[in-house]
Amino acid sequence: MFETLHRYRYHYLMLLPGLILGGMFVFYPIFAACYYAMHDWSGFNSDKVFVGLGNFVKLFNDPIFWDAFRRSLIFLLGTVPLQMTVSLVLAVLLNNQLLKMSTWFRTMIFLPVVTPVAVIGIIWTFLLSPFNGPVNGLLLDLGLISRPVDFLGSTDTVMPSVIGVYVWKWLGITMIYWLAALQTVPDDVYDSAKLDRCRGAKLVWYIILPIVLPFAIAITLISAVGALNVFPLIMSMTNGGPFFASEVMEIFIYRTAFATGDGSIPRLGYAAAAGVFFGFVVLSLTIAQAIATRRARSGAREISS
Amino acid sequence: MLSSGGLTRRAFMMGTTAGLAATALGAGRAAAQAIPAAINDIPKGGTFRWIDSGDQKAVFYKKFFADYAKDRGIEIVYDALPWNEIAQVVPLGVRNNSAHDVFALPQNVNPADAVAQGWVQPYDDFIPNIAEWKASFPAGAFLPGINEFDGKTYGLPFTSNKRYGTHLLYNRAYMEAAGYDPEDKPLTWSDFRDAAKKITDAGKGRYFGFIIGGNQLGRWSQTVRNMGRMAGASAGGDSVIEADIDFRTGDYVFDSDQYIAAIELLIAMQADGSVFPGIMSMNAPQARAYMPQGAAGMILQGPWNIGGWEGQNPEFDFGVSSGPVPDDGPTGKLTIGQGALAPNTMWLFKGSELGPIVGDIFHYLGTVEGQTAWANIVGAGDPPIFPEALDNAEMSGRSKAILQHFNELIRVGPNPVVGNAELGKVIGAFQAPEVNFARTVQGLVAGELKGVAQEMKALKDRYNASLDAAFAAAKADGAAVDRSDLVFANWNPDADFGSADY
Repeated sequence: MFETLHRYRYHYLMLLPGLILGGMFVFYPIFAACYYAMHDWSGFNSDKVFVGLGNFVKLFNDPIFWDAFRRSLIFLLGTVPLQMTVSLVLAVLLNNQLLKMSTWFRTMIFLPVVTPVAVIGIIWTFLLSPFNGPVNGLLLDLGLISRPVDFLGSTDTVMPSVIGVYVWKWLGITMIYWLAALQTVPDDVYDSAKLDRCRGAKLVWYIILPIVLPFAIAITLISAVGALNVFPLIMSMTNGGPFFASEVMEIFIYRTAFATGDGSIPRLGYAAAAGVFFGFVVLSLTIAQAIATRRARSGAREISS
Repeated sequence: MLSSGGLTRRAFMMGTTAGLAATALGAGRAAAQAIPAAINDIPKGGTFRWIDSGDQKAVFYKKFFADYAKDRGIEIVYDALPWNEIAQVVPLGVRNNSAHDVFALPQNVNPADAVAQGWVQPYDDFIPNIAEWKASFPAGAFLPGINEFDGKTYGLPFTSNKRYGTHLLYNRAYMEAAGYDPEDKPLTWSDFRDAAKKITDAGKGRYFGFIIGGNQLGRWSQTVRNMGRMAGASAGGDSVIEADIDFRTGDYVFDSDQYIAAIELLIAMQADGSVFPGIMSMNAPQARAYMPQGAAGMILQGPWNIGGWEGQNPEFDFGVSSGPVPDDGPTGKLTIGQGALAPNTMWLFKGSELGPIVGDIFHYLGTVEGQTAWANIVGAGDPPIFPEALDNAEMSGRSKAILQHFNELIRVGPNPVVGNAELGKVIGAFQAPEVNFARTVQGLVAGELKGVAQEMKALKDRYNASLDAAFAAAKADGAAVDRSDLVFANWNPDADFGSADY
């Protein structure tokens, strides 16, 4: 064993920086979160009491936690299908090299992706403002509404509004993924389809989609995990309000950990338990995706061959 | 554009005159600020850092620290952050041993806890003859359990508690057009609703009657609490275990008729369409910024707006007066706890090595000269704790008027921690319900919760459960406390509660 270690010492040396950084910024935080999750601790004093799974038991009986969890799922289900569909349509259109200004369109659609989330959040807060906001101004001018809509201040409209902004922000990256997937479809498949007079929706549905299905699953997963990480957008737009209406899991964890409300004590242990649970949910999604991709890939191979 | 469109010539002239006066006053103040000789050897090198909640305080500190740093040959960083950010920055800084040298404690951290947890250190050693210096403060400024612990001095109490943050500030032109003059006669609740409606009608969508930073939860609890108390619901209003508690019974007043009526008034105004659209997605600073733009006619906020608007928006003609009073006239006083204004009390970080600088600055802020310099700039926003500084200070008519109103309306109530210092452990253990007072009011006004009376009764039950749990935890921790410590049967809400009354 020592001989093997010695023989590959440079290989191991090369691994070391990655291991150290991964240990510091990935593994340690995971273990620390699990450790804190088993303590009743505010996070800022020395009174740390071991409670075992007590925080998890409390969590599962906390209706506000489940409401936040439900909102995270609603956000995921509200964004991912919309983002996937719209970006696929755009990708199919922009994949046509003969389309004039396709590069310009791609750049424009991609621009929000590279803009910082907080900036997007603040700008959209102004755009959606019921007082002098251009969106309300347009709707009023068109006669579609008689009184400005408080998009971010009404419990009915806040989630659809944030979902809309999120989809707009990340549409470009999903479109790029689709474009990359579409470019893996071999040219001879298009030629054969042409000979068989298979065009338009038929071509997309029966030929292209089965081939890009493994990519679709990967893109879905990336989008789904992204939709569960919306902290900066929601913080900059609504702070989780009004009255919890946009409080998704991450905002719940943050609020519990820092407790900025009147008379509230931070509960880092409790927040860590929520974080660990949420982490498991995301992990489960990833595993499900890995299995689904493997199955889809074998199916796609059959079609392309 | 909106404000100028809505202003009368009279209002414009008044605003201009006020602006010129404020500018002249400001120029005089800038020249008057002088840095006194140092009381300690000032260490060179390193950067001295100070953090508080800013507002009008920032106007003073930016000027003072610039002059002070130049005079002493040191570097100073002053950070002014909203309270929700202080609640994160300060604890993280303490934990990482990188906190500011001087900080305001987050509002959910009790001073006794901060001392016990080693967040802060006493500054007795950094002010020579500190006993003499402390004796120059008004009685009740330094109190065991509040800013003194184990005979040592920890907190700097340099601003007065005698103010409240929900008095009326309004656009004079709009109010005059609505037919009201709150400076002559405070608006009653009915007047308040009617004025908001009339202003909104006159605005035709360009401006609205009433605005509030509804995304900043504390605005809801403060507004309802103060309206309810001014309508006769007697309750304390400072720390987490005394706010909304009637000291005569020791019980919460959330379900009192006055609190319920105050919430119903806000809901009715919302239903009238008199409330600025978008309040639920704006915080207090954003809401206040709309006022000088002429986007709203009235706001219930604090005196810190006066200096800000007079300095930065001299063309804005606004009036100040009492918060709305019940229809049959003023019936209740506002109660403040004994001592200085807790959020403005400054603390010396345990890990700071710049104690001599802190002592030098704290000492200056606790002299008549320092207090007068403070009052000249901060005015009524954060009144100095020395009454003579208020007499010496040059202040605008609005600032003087609102300070006079505070004197008439506000009374010093019992401070349970002064009665039993061990209540600090209860404060430390108190965990407010997740759907707390502020959120409940927000939920009711937003229409997410229905039935004011039953929601407020349920809220009272939740708070009672939380308070009982905090007492139980404190007792388990060895504290000799009881809920009867919150009962002061001899308390008269209309009179000051003195040391002899405990």
